[in-house]
Amino acid sequence: MATIVEAVELKKTYMLGKVPVEALRGVNLKVEEGEFLSILGPSGSGKSTLLNLIGALDKPTSGKLLIENVDISTLNDGELADLRRKIGFVFQFFNLIPRFTARQNVELPMAIAGLNRSERRKRAEELLETVGLKGRMNHKPAELSGGEQQRVAIARAVANNPRFLLMDEPTGNIDSKNAYEIIQLIKMLNQEKGVTTIMVTHDQRLAAEAKRTLHMLDGQIVEEVMN
Amino acid sequence: MKAKDIFSYAFSAIKLRKLRAGLTTLGVVIGIAAIVALLSITQGLQVAIAGQLQKGFATDTLIVSTGGGLGAGGTDSGFNLMVNDTKTIDAIENVTTSLAIIQRVGYIKSGEQTRRVTIVGIDYATYKEIYGSTFIAETGEIPLNPENTTVVVGKRVSDPWNNGTLFCSLGDSVEILWTNTTARPLRNETYTGEIAAVLQEVGGFTIGGPSDSNIYIPISQAQSFFGTEKCEIIIVKLKNDDKTTIDSTAKVIKEAFSGQVSVTSSTAVLNIISSVFSTIELFLAGIAAISLLVAGIGIMNIMIVSLMERTREIGILKALGMKSRTVLLIFLGEAVIIGFLGAVIGVGAGWTLAQVVVRALNFGGGTRFGNQAAMSNGLTINPVLTPTVFVGAMAFGLMVSIVFALYPAWRASKLKPVEALRYE
Repeated sequence: MATIVEAVELKKTYMLGKVPVEALRGVNLKVEEGEFLSILGPSGSGKSTLLNLIGALDKPTSGKLLIENVDISTLNDGELADLRRKIGFVFQFFNLIPRFTARQNVELPMAIAGLNRSERRKRAEELLETVGLKGRMNHKPAELSGGEQQRVAIARAVANNPRFLLMDEPTGNIDSKNAYEIIQLIKMLNQEKGVTTIMVTHDQRLAAEAKRTLHMLDGQIVEEVMN
Repeated sequence: MKAKDIFSYAFSAIKLRKLRAGLTTLGVVIGIAAIVALLSITQGLQVAIAGQLQKGFATDTLIVSTGGGLGAGGTDSGFNLMVNDTKTIDAIENVTTSLAIIQRVGYIKSGEQTRRVTIVGIDYATYKEIYGSTFIAETGEIPLNPENTTVVVGKRVSDPWNNGTLFCSLGDSVEILWTNTTARPLRNETYTGEIAAVLQEVGGFTIGGPSDSNIYIPISQAQSFFGTEKCEIIIVKLKNDDKTTIDSTAKVIKEAFSGQVSVTSSTAVLNIISSVFSTIELFLAGIAAISLLVAGIGIMNIMIVSLMERTREIGILKALGMKSRTVLLIFLGEAVIIGFLGAVIGVGAGWTLAQVVVRALNFGGGTRFGNQAAMSNGLTINPVLTPTVFVGAMAFGLMVSIVFALYPAWRASKLKPVEALRYE
C-alpha cells in the first residue's frame, strides 16, 4: 500500500507572545492509503499542530513533511491552496458558513475547485443523503443540531474526493449519542469508500475506534497501539 | 473559482449586512450624484450661454480695443483709438469694413419716466452690414443716412417689462441725457431725439453686437454730444471667418497701431468663455469628488470591519483550498458591487437633482445673469448629461470603490489559514 503522508523529524515552534513554544519536537510518522489512524493525546500535546501541518494549513519549522511524496515546505502559497483542495478537513467547531444552507456549504469546496453549479448541486445532494441529511438540505447551520452540523461538515470535507480526511476532535462538541453516530459515519466512509482518515482526539474510547492509535505527549509520539 | 461564483459569493456577503452595505452605497450615491448634478447644470449653463452668445456674435469679426483687450482688462497706456482710425483699418487686406463705437452710460427720458441705458454711437449702415441678422427693425426703419436726432432703441428699452406696457415707441420724442464726468464741474448734456426704429429682440449677450437694452445714435451725433473723437472699440468685418484670415489680419492690425491695441476675435472670446467654464466645471467637480473620496474612506472602513468579522470565514475558505487571489477578488467584488450600485443610483439621483435645481432656478421666467448692458430676457438652462460625464462618473465611482477596497482586500488575502481559523 502506498504511503500517503510521511513526517520525518518534524518540528514546529511558534511564538506565544514573546515565548517560543515547541509544539512539535521531532515527529516521525507514516500513514498508508486507506488507513484509519487516530492520534490521541492531552491538550497541548501538539496533536492539532501536527494535523494543521498535514492539512497544509501551516508550514513546519524544520524536518520534512511529505504528502504524496511532495515536500510541502517547497510549495508556494498557490500550490498549498491547490493541495488543500485534495484534503478534507473536519473541525471541532464545524466551521460552516452561517449564511449558507447545508447544501450551499457542501457546494462551497466544489465551487472553489471550479465545478459547475449543476454538477456541484447534484453531488452535494447525494453527499447529504449519504450522511443522512436528505431532508435538511435547505436549513442553515443555526437551524441544525451539533450532530447534524458535523455531518454537513463531513459531507463538505469529502465533496472534492479528497486523498485523505483530517478530523480535529470531530465529536468534541457533540453529545455522546450523536458522537457515536458520527464515528459510525466516519468508519463507514473509511471502510466502504476507502477514505484515508486521520483523527485527532483526547477521548480514549473514540481513538480506539481507529485501527491504529498514536499517543502524543509534549510534541512527540510516545506510543503506537494497534486496536 | 469561476468569476460568476466569486461574484455571487461577494453578493451573499453583502446581503448579510444590508443596512451597512446600504449606508456605504449611499455614500457613493451622494458623491456621484453631486458630481453629476453639478456637471450637468454647469454644462447646461454653458450650452445656454454659448447659444446666446453665438446669436449675438458674428464669427467673421474682430474687435480692436486699447490696452489689454476684452476679457483681460485694459491697461492705461495713454493710447487712444480714434473714430477715423477706421480708415487705416479699412485699407488692410481681408477687411471688408470697420466701425467705430463710442458708448456711454446715460439716460433716456420719455414723458416723465427716465431709464438708464447704454448710449451707443455707430454708423447705422456699417453696423447693419456687420450685424445683418440682429440689427433689424421690428417697427419703423433704420435710416442709412440718419438725421442727428435719429434714435434707434433696443426692444427692452421700448418694452422693459416684456408685457406690452411700453416705455417709449416709434415716433416718440425722447430726451437723451449724459453726465460729462470729465468736465469740472460735472455737466449734464442733453438733447431731444426721435425714435426712428425699435429693434427686434436679440436676446443673449453680445460683445459689440446689438443688445436689447441699448440705444443707438449716429456716430457723428455721438462725437459732438460726447465731445470726443476717441472711440472705445472698433469692430472689423473680415472677408471670411477662416482661422488663418482671422489670425493674420489680427496681426496686421496690431502692427498698424504699433502693438498698442489688442485685437480679439469673437471666436477667441467664445473660447475664453468656454475655458472659463471648463475651469469652473473642474472646480465644482473637484468639490464633488471630495464627497466621493469620503465615500471611498467609508468603503475602506466598512471593509476593514468586515475583514475582522470574517477572519474565521476566510480561514475556512483557505482551508477548503481557496487561493489568496480569489479571496482578494471576493473582497474587491464586494466593493465593485457597492461601487456599481452607488454609481448607477448616483447618476440617476444626480440627474434628478439637476432637473429639480434647474426648475427652481428657472422659476419665474428665467434666470438672469450679467449686467444691465448685457442683460436680456434671461437664460433657460437645461441640464446636459454628456456621455463623457455619464461614463466618467460611473468609472470614477467604481474606481474609488476599488482603490479603497484594495488595502482591506489585500489584508484579507494575506491572512494565514491557521491563524484565521483560530480567530474568535
